[in-house]
Amino acid sequence: MAGALVRINFLQRPAIILYSIGASLPAVAQRRLQGTSAPPPGTPPPQTKTKFGPLADQDRIFTNLYGRHDWRLKGALKRGDWHRTKEIILKGSDWIINELKTSGLRGRGGAGFPSGMKWSFMNKPSDGRPKYLVVNADEGEPGTCKDREIMRHDPHKLVEGCLVAGKAMGARAAYIYIRGEFYNEASNMQLAIAEAYQAGLIGKNACGSGYDFDVFMHRGAGAYICGEETALIESLEGKQGKPRLKPPFPADVGVFGCPTTVNNVETIAVAPTIMRRGGAWFASFGRTRNSGTKLFNISGHVNKPCTIEEEMSIPLKELIERHAGGIRGGWDNLLGVIPGGSSTPVIPKKVCDDVLMDFDGLIAAQTSLGTAALIVMDRSTDIIKAIERLTAFYRHESCGQCTPCREGIMWMHKIMKRFVAGNGQPDEIDMLWEISKQIEGHTICALADGAAWPVQGLIRHFRPEIEERMKKYAVRATN
Amino acid sequence: MFRAPLTKVIQGRFGSPTHGITSKAIRSSAALSQTPAKAPEKIEVFVDDVSVKVLPGTTVLQACAVAGVEIPRFCYHERLSVAGNCRMCLVEVEKSPKPVAACAMPVMKGWRIKTNSEMTRKAREGVMEFLLMNHPLDCPICDQGGECDLQDQAMAFGSDRSRFTDINHTGKRAVEDKNFGPLVKGIMTRCIHCTRCVRFACEVAGVEDLGTTGRGNDMQIGTYVEKLFLSELSGNVIDLCPVGALTSKPYSFVARPWEIRKVSSIDVLDAVGSNIVVSTRTNEVLRIVPRENEDINEEWLADKSRFACDGLKRQRLVAPMVRMPNGELQAVEWEGALISVAKAIKDAKGAVAAIAGQLVDVESLVALKDLLNRNGGETLCTEQNFNVKGSGSDLRSNYVCNTTIADLEQADAVLLIGTNPRYEAPLINTRLRKSYINNEMDIASIGPKIDLSYNHQNLGEDAGLISQVCNGGHPFSKVLENAKKPAIVLGANVLERPDAAGIHTTVASYCKKLNKQGWNAFNVLQNNAGQTGALDVGYQPGTQAALKAQPKVLILLGADGGKVDREKLPKDCYVIYIGHHGDNGASIADAVLPGAAYTEKQAIYVNTEGRAQQTLAAVSPPGMAREDWKILRALSEILGTPLPYDNLDDLRNRIEDIAPHLVRFGKLESSTFGNLTEQLATSKSIENTKIDVKQKKLREYFMTDPISRASPTMARCVREVSGEEAKEESQRQAAC
Amino acid sequence: MSFVRQILAKTPQGVHWAKTVSNSSRCMSSVGSRDAPPIDVSQVIAQPEELERKRKLSGAITVPTKVDLSPISGVPEEHVKTRRVCIHLPPKNAMQSGTDNLNHWVIEFDNRERWENPLMGWTSTGDPLSNMEVTFGSKEEAIEHCERNGWRWFIDAEEKPKVERVKNYGLNFHWNRRTRTSTK
Repeated sequence: MAGALVRINFLQRPAIILYSIGASLPAVAQRRLQGTSAPPPGTPPPQTKTKFGPLADQDRIFTNLYGRHDWRLKGALKRGDWHRTKEIILKGSDWIINELKTSGLRGRGGAGFPSGMKWSFMNKPSDGRPKYLVVNADEGEPGTCKDREIMRHDPHKLVEGCLVAGKAMGARAAYIYIRGEFYNEASNMQLAIAEAYQAGLIGKNACGSGYDFDVFMHRGAGAYICGEETALIESLEGKQGKPRLKPPFPADVGVFGCPTTVNNVETIAVAPTIMRRGGAWFASFGRTRNSGTKLFNISGHVNKPCTIEEEMSIPLKELIERHAGGIRGGWDNLLGVIPGGSSTPVIPKKVCDDVLMDFDGLIAAQTSLGTAALIVMDRSTDIIKAIERLTAFYRHESCGQCTPCREGIMWMHKIMKRFVAGNGQPDEIDMLWEISKQIEGHTICALADGAAWPVQGLIRHFRPEIEERMKKYAVRATN
Repeated sequence: MFRAPLTKVIQGRFGSPTHGITSKAIRSSAALSQTPAKAPEKIEVFVDDVSVKVLPGTTVLQACAVAGVEIPRFCYHERLSVAGNCRMCLVEVEKSPKPVAACAMPVMKGWRIKTNSEMTRKAREGVMEFLLMNHPLDCPICDQGGECDLQDQAMAFGSDRSRFTDINHTGKRAVEDKNFGPLVKGIMTRCIHCTRCVRFACEVAGVEDLGTTGRGNDMQIGTYVEKLFLSELSGNVIDLCPVGALTSKPYSFVARPWEIRKVSSIDVLDAVGSNIVVSTRTNEVLRIVPRENEDINEEWLADKSRFACDGLKRQRLVAPMVRMPNGELQAVEWEGALISVAKAIKDAKGAVAAIAGQLVDVESLVALKDLLNRNGGETLCTEQNFNVKGSGSDLRSNYVCNTTIADLEQADAVLLIGTNPRYEAPLINTRLRKSYINNEMDIASIGPKIDLSYNHQNLGEDAGLISQVCNGGHPFSKVLENAKKPAIVLGANVLERPDAAGIHTTVASYCKKLNKQGWNAFNVLQNNAGQTGALDVGYQPGTQAALKAQPKVLILLGADGGKVDREKLPKDCYVIYIGHHGDNGASIADAVLPGAAYTEKQAIYVNTEGRAQQTLAAVSPPGMAREDWKILRALSEILGTPLPYDNLDDLRNRIEDIAPHLVRFGKLESSTFGNLTEQLATSKSIENTKIDVKQKKLREYFMTDPISRASPTMARCVREVSGEEAKEESQRQAAC
Repeated sequence: MSFVRQILAKTPQGVHWAKTVSNSSRCMSSVGSRDAPPIDVSQVIAQPEELERKRKLSGAITVPTKVDLSPISGVPEEHVKTRRVCIHLPPKNAMQSGTDNLNHWVIEFDNRERWENPLMGWTSTGDPLSNMEVTFGSKEEAIEHCERNGWRWFIDAEEKPKVERVKNYGLNFHWNRRTRTSTK
């Protein structure tokens, strides 16, 4: 299927040329050309499905997610990793990027930027600087534990992905920046890299393709902010992990001042499978613009917390009921879900009932897919305290560079701490809302946004509870 | 310049095309017309709907400045790298969902920047609220109060009330104060983490001592480990700090900005001629801060120049003194002092010599010369030697920085010979460092191993290396010869050596080879503010001539360097000291005539690049002290050979007759006759001895002249810095 | 035609100038008034030659001599003959980043002795001109003002074009240049 697509693309080219010089053509001809012109190459095929999930076993990319099989090279080869990687490499960077664009893969790190486009930014003519791929394995978001599973149990998928992505962007080397706390994962990863070097899969003449590619691993020191791409770059360079402003974007000035692409582990790890099975296959899952399969982490008050690969756009309720064994005490006991890791706003049960787990669906619900790490809270949860704890986390992890983040989150946390006890005035809730808005979007990186959103989610959906608590506190204080 | 007839003024000097343009326009947009023709095409952006054309890559903030709109900022500073972290400069750009940081964002074509929109104002107010949240409300006891960016911007852009209700619950953040040294006082609770000081230390001072530790709200500015901030430019962080976190230790709790009077003047404690503003109250110099001058000091000031001003209040000569037969100096009235001095000069019958010191101004030099010449004396020397025979001091290009200070930052290969610009001229060193950073400059030094705050190649101490390099036989010669803008800097101390003439000629003739169109590579780095001026008006360099003449009367005009002592003079020599501090000169004098220091007179000084500038009187001389040239004028009256000038203007007319460039203040005359040097010079021999520099360590920097020697602050600096340097040294040894 | 007139005629600043030297120019400024005068009956019925004569008289009168106000300004002679006026642009305060209030020219007299009043600690001076700070829109106006008052003046400021600096955030991270920052 992929071949067919490419052929169509080749057929398309003269038409494009004609169109570009079509100013001299008669109007009718022009209109005809416009009408018949197919979408540009790299457009995912239109989605025809209306129901998403569950994912069939044969469509799973991560087949050793639970570590039941051998994670080393032998086992990986058995599962199909490194299968004809050389051919993928030899097809060249344009083909790989095109295929990735066709797959509609969006970055799995939280922001959801189309990966194909991101890789294509790297294909500017070289000015003598080497290019680098940096894999963001600094998975620090509370609730998220997907990359960990990949690096523990399927590290070769990542190593192979590095090679494929590296080839696509013409990178000289890949740096895997792994979270400092991931000791076992780092060990496995390092072994996998060593195995791949020994097997000639990476390094000089990787896979026999004539392409030289190195993979290095760098262990972080345990700062959440280093998961932000530019902070990660700073940290990789040996400086304090403080985010840089954009522009210049990493694709222009990145690690060591060279063009760099920073990708999430999952984004890189799914790339080889997409190359092998075709972008259109990947695009057949999930709604348009939200295509693919995705690792979901379900934690909190569910019967069976788990990490599961599922189709995008699966309804939240189905995801929890099917894979996590349902909410503790039944669906009606649900209070709310934080759908995408700690930095996304909480959604209450009535929204959870029918929301779809994909980028657009959750944005429509005024939250975000983030890293697709669901934190499920049942009615026993003190939601104010829960959000306060998240704010404390962000207060602790703010790098201290920008004023709104450094000062604002601390302030928010101070207020939240009081709100947990109910020590406050109702109009302070509005003030908190305003403060969170003052923080959001005024900083260099998105950490401040991630700190502001949970608070905004709380106020949006649970304001009566805060007010209730304040009333109680006031009564207690007067008695 | 003085009292030029109006018509002449209008036709000549001010007949430039800028005539009629208001000063504001000149400041902000005159640069536009100066860009070279080859510059890339300008792009049009709109600042508050006003169209502005700027070069691509200009930041939003700069584009707004061109349009005359000033964006509030804390972390951004023109002379430092962009940090973009205070977020005060956020402005709205049309079609951008979020406000952008103006200081870092390059403009795109057609952008519509809104500097006063609702979004912009909200963003500023928000940032300001956050900044004030943890900023202590101690403005009444803060030294920055009244000249604080945070205060001003809070007034202009902040909210009118605080919402920080948590002040009643948990209070504000408090940070332990840090000891940055004897000059900079750190009250770190006030810090707003703009990191200007950190960037200054790393980029301009070249000392990576400052940095941030901790993160989030626990972030602190400090020196990582407990140590002093050892830099000869440390005082500048006081200016840079937009709040009162870093303030001046000697100036703490001394005065409020609205109490002081500010007088623009020139610094004379090194030969750079930094532009300064002298802050005074009553009749006291309270502090000195830099004044912007792109050609000289940009807007920095070296620590000695900034903090030695309390030396102006100590050890001052406040009354004329005459040595009594019992050997004691006794204060007398002016009349008595002048009469006895005049008597001595008359008795000498022409056997009069004069030595001018480190801090003398051109006016008194000229007056002294005229006075002596009228009384038969011809021997006038400077205290510092410039041991170049023949044409040596006759040609100006032989003893000035021909490359000019501002152009040194364009140099791409520099050789330093026997000089440590870091301490001899800190602000020239910042230029070199700038070039090192921005131009990938190669720099090498001949002399002892010193820390210049940037990496450089030390070729060795041997003087023979000079001829080796200048013959083209040294690897560094290739670097110099291949450079587009090479420069060689000769230290003034090297030229005090006996073989100075040889060194000078060798280097000068080599520089002739290196010179390019519009680029002169030959530099002599003077370290005395008075030296260039003295040589300009025809003083002989070095004390030998005066000593050799065995004068009956020796006039020391501020000569405090300790190079003259009684042993070298004839027994009956009558020594007259004219100067402002009771230092080496006054101690050997038979008569002391108290003069004025540089803050007390309107006087001309010529800096090391030959730029004449004038100081203005900020205070009046203490006690009975008078301006030096007036003392000489009065003396001439008593001697019966009155000098033909009664006021400063007449005197300056006289100076103009001698050397017209000395009254064209601020202007730089390009030195001519540079090519004559070689023909006139004689010897080229250089002795194979070691080349030394006087100031190798920071502790040796602080006390170099009578003012800084009298300064308690400088004394404290020497003490603390010596201690710190000794500590570092012992740590280094322990580590080895 | 005198220089004063030239300025008045040429530039709109002349109006401003007129304010600063209002003492002297009051007599002339009434001539230049643009208010429509009430209709004068005598003018309406006047003969043409009479009108012509009146028209000639109503024009601005040029004073060809240098104006020196010092004899009538009431300033003691000592403070006219011995004072030197510095005409300058106020320098930017090194402690602050703001540049408002710096775009005008100021005249300042030479400093005379000040002392601390022993009673209250206030600053005392015997100099009546020490606190006189007059601002001007351009240095020509300041010069003119000094000339008319008979003060010797000098200009202590240079107008240098503002240096355009390259401000590039990316340079902090440049791959092979020394502009790379190492600490924060």
